[in-house]
Amino acid sequence: MKRNDKRNQSAQVNNTNKLSILLIDDNESRSAQLISALENSRYQVSHLLTSGASLLKKVDELKPDMVVIDIESPDRDILDSLHTLSSFNPKPIVMFSEQEDSETITRSIKSGVSAYVCGNADPKRVRAILDAALARFEDYQSVKQELANTKHELEAKKIIDSAKRLLMQSRNMSENEAFHALRKMAMDTGQKLEDVAKTLISMLNTIK
Amino acid sequence: MNIEMTKQSTTDQKQNIAKSDVLTPLTLGFVSLTDSAPLIVAQRLGYFRQFNLDVTLCPQNSWSTLRDKLQTGLLDAAQLLAPMPLASSLGLGSMQVQMSVPMVLSQNGNAISLSPVLCHEILRNNALAELPFPMPASLLRETIEQRKKRGEAALRFATVFPYSCHQYQLIDWLKQSDLHNNVDIITIPPSEMSNSLESGLIDGFCVGGPWNAKSVREGTGITVLTSYNIWQDAAEKVLGTSYAFAKQHPETMARLCAALLLSCEWLQSLPNRFEAAKMMAESGYLPEPIDVIAPSLLGSCLTRQNATPQIVPNYNRFFFENASIVNAPTIEMQELLLNKMRETKQLPQEKFSADALQKILENMVNKSCFERALALLAK
Repeated sequence: MKRNDKRNQSAQVNNTNKLSILLIDDNESRSAQLISALENSRYQVSHLLTSGASLLKKVDELKPDMVVIDIESPDRDILDSLHTLSSFNPKPIVMFSEQEDSETITRSIKSGVSAYVCGNADPKRVRAILDAALARFEDYQSVKQELANTKHELEAKKIIDSAKRLLMQSRNMSENEAFHALRKMAMDTGQKLEDVAKTLISMLNTIK
Repeated sequence: MNIEMTKQSTTDQKQNIAKSDVLTPLTLGFVSLTDSAPLIVAQRLGYFRQFNLDVTLCPQNSWSTLRDKLQTGLLDAAQLLAPMPLASSLGLGSMQVQMSVPMVLSQNGNAISLSPVLCHEILRNNALAELPFPMPASLLRETIEQRKKRGEAALRFATVFPYSCHQYQLIDWLKQSDLHNNVDIITIPPSEMSNSLESGLIDGFCVGGPWNAKSVREGTGITVLTSYNIWQDAAEKVLGTSYAFAKQHPETMARLCAALLLSCEWLQSLPNRFEAAKMMAESGYLPEPIDVIAPSLLGSCLTRQNATPQIVPNYNRFFFENASIVNAPTIEMQELLLNKMRETKQLPQEKFSADALQKILENMVNKSCFERALALLAK
């Protein structure tokens, strides 16, 4: 009894740790190959779909960690449109192709979603490709996040600068005094420097 | 691209047997639709061979894959949705690869169809006995508001690709009645439209031929207007290639344009249009019955089952009077598309400087190739 419990528990833990894959393929024997190639790996094909327009709904419902699709599938356009829809969280998308010249595509497809192509279902290769796609996707997401952060920082700096300028003009302060005044206000009220600056700007502008 | 010796010509188009033994091989990608007619016609009538080209037509199942293969050189050239070369040159939705557009292949050709359920609601909510053609989007307003009041999902429309005229035409139609923010728009492959309308996944779609006619014949959709009623005579499909390929092979591209211009001109006459519909049905590229392919080519818009079709002479337009009217690539057309990308927020304001944009547009509009093609035809 106890042993059984343990086993169930570990199976569950295992399941939640695994990265779920939504596989879209009309070719049954090929999907079976891919599923077996991923046995005992950190990936698990959790859902298998044949092509059809309900894909968008499925991606939204199933929230897979990754989508794998045949590059020749008509549903590629549905997946491609995902990153133009802000309501959908971006997913790493891996494409496979049976063409020999897949390397050419591999080198180049990096359209927001990371995409790689595997020519055969050699287990080691498939896993390596999925690993690379995931890493690439995470890189891309973090670059995007960094970009957003940098943008925000620049904005904040602008706001703080103009608040400083307003203080210097209206209170006859030096730049250093203005900055210290701002910082003191921030510390006293437990707010961010940028938020204090915003409040100050709107206040000083209203008083004028 | 290699030059290779050709085998003895076995074509039955005797009048068009290659004039030279040396043919240039070229791969030409496309998505099979009614307006792929110029490509199929050029192949069947031997126009490619007439210009010493050994063209392999490569049908693709999705626009994304067509774009990727063109960007990476797996395809030499392609029939593209008019906004695709610009999207690629700007790096929207894909990596950034400068494209070159030497000619426009067709104008118009899309239409908006609605589900019978939605049409029924529109009639009831507007106390109408019949839907007008072209239908103004304002007739949707009452239905949109009622569904909202009942707490139901917003109306959902589909187009074939985010960077398509279909997308901008649908939005512009809704915008005329200020309804563009009240409707969801998703992407679905054209061949899935009819099923999706029937299953209730979507309430309407904007798609090219033969998929509106097919939906009408199957009774899943009712066509309420064509894209000609929204954008009159706007470029729909263009010939595209990477800028690098156009630079490396100017003569090959000019010959390709010349062959396709011959096709477009041939497609001007109605009897030829019917012939073209037959060619496409027989070619295996568009496995649909002729009564689904032919109507739009003949300027006839099926609206609903058993109803008299509407006459839209320019439903599919490939050529008019002289090549420059329909087929010449222009910077104005690219600017129009650029504006649509801005309006729909596909292109972030700060992504490019005005100078950079200008340069991209200039590199894209390949007038010299088009003029060279005209010179080849004048010979």
